Amino acid sequence: MNDIYQRLLWLYPAEHRRQFGDEMWRVFQDVRLEIAGAGALVRGAFFVREFCGLLGGALREHLREMNILKVGIPLSTRRFNMRNGFRFPKSTAVLMTLILLGVILAIRKGEAIANSLPHVNPQVPPIHSVPSVMLSGITFFFVFFYAVGLIGWAILFAMHRSGVHRLDGISGARK
Amino acid sequence: MESLPLSEPVLLILMSLAPEPRHGYSILKDVERMSNGRVVLSTGTLYGALRRLLDEDWIERFEEREVSRGRRAYRLTAEGRRNLHLEVDRMKHLTRLATLRVAAEEK
Repeated sequence: MNDIYQRLLWLYPAEHRRQFGDEMWRVFQDVRLEIAGAGALVRGAFFVREFCGLLGGALREHLREMNILKVGIPLSTRRFNMRNGFRFPKSTAVLMTLILLGVILAIRKGEAIANSLPHVNPQVPPIHSVPSVMLSGITFFFVFFYAVGLIGWAILFAMHRSGVHRLDGISGARK
Repeated sequence: MESLPLSEPVLLILMSLAPEPRHGYSILKDVERMSNGRVVLSTGTLYGALRRLLDEDWIERFEEREVSRGRRAYRLTAEGRRNLHLEVDRMKHLTRLATLRVAAEEK
């Protein structure tokens, strides 16, 4: 496990490793010694936690170095995350795009399978491929409803009814 | 302050450093103790948070003379202490508000 931990530390950017590598290693050793006599479940949970923590931490530090991730102080745990800042639902947009791509791929695949099937029963008409109108329709509806949602949200935002401004009073009072 | 509210691990780390300076292992254990074992930080998470706190000048580190292993300890800066107070005030306000609202609903 020690070897694995040290190897995983190499996933971190060099600067982070130089600053914190030894300390992380020492703390890991301390906790490992502490739970040495504990049950398999406790030790298992510890190793899984450390493994995931290192992988996630390394990824976060790399993204941070590349300025992709603008990580401030908070670490996301969804516990006290009542933020008053503007939060565009990027994840939703990405997921919707992925779903759309999945649907397009499934249609293409279905067309390919239908075309490759031999037409053996003359009483049953041949299976025709899905016309591209359906695809355009899906894209149109996707763009249309997204635009409508965006416009609706912009109107609510302009009227200070979107929820974004709700906690501004608290922050303003504190400043 | 743009970076408020704080996440629970960061808040617990700052709370851990409020009474006295601590090194990594001590912070880890204190956070676990304070949260009754609910928040158990991995070293990756802990040092990610410590790095960000150092970058923001909320904490600083120094060598502990009396510790033979040359561990580096961390302590709150004035800025960090100020932000911890702001966060506690924010939470007090929310708790007060929630208590009032819940009480009004129960009547």
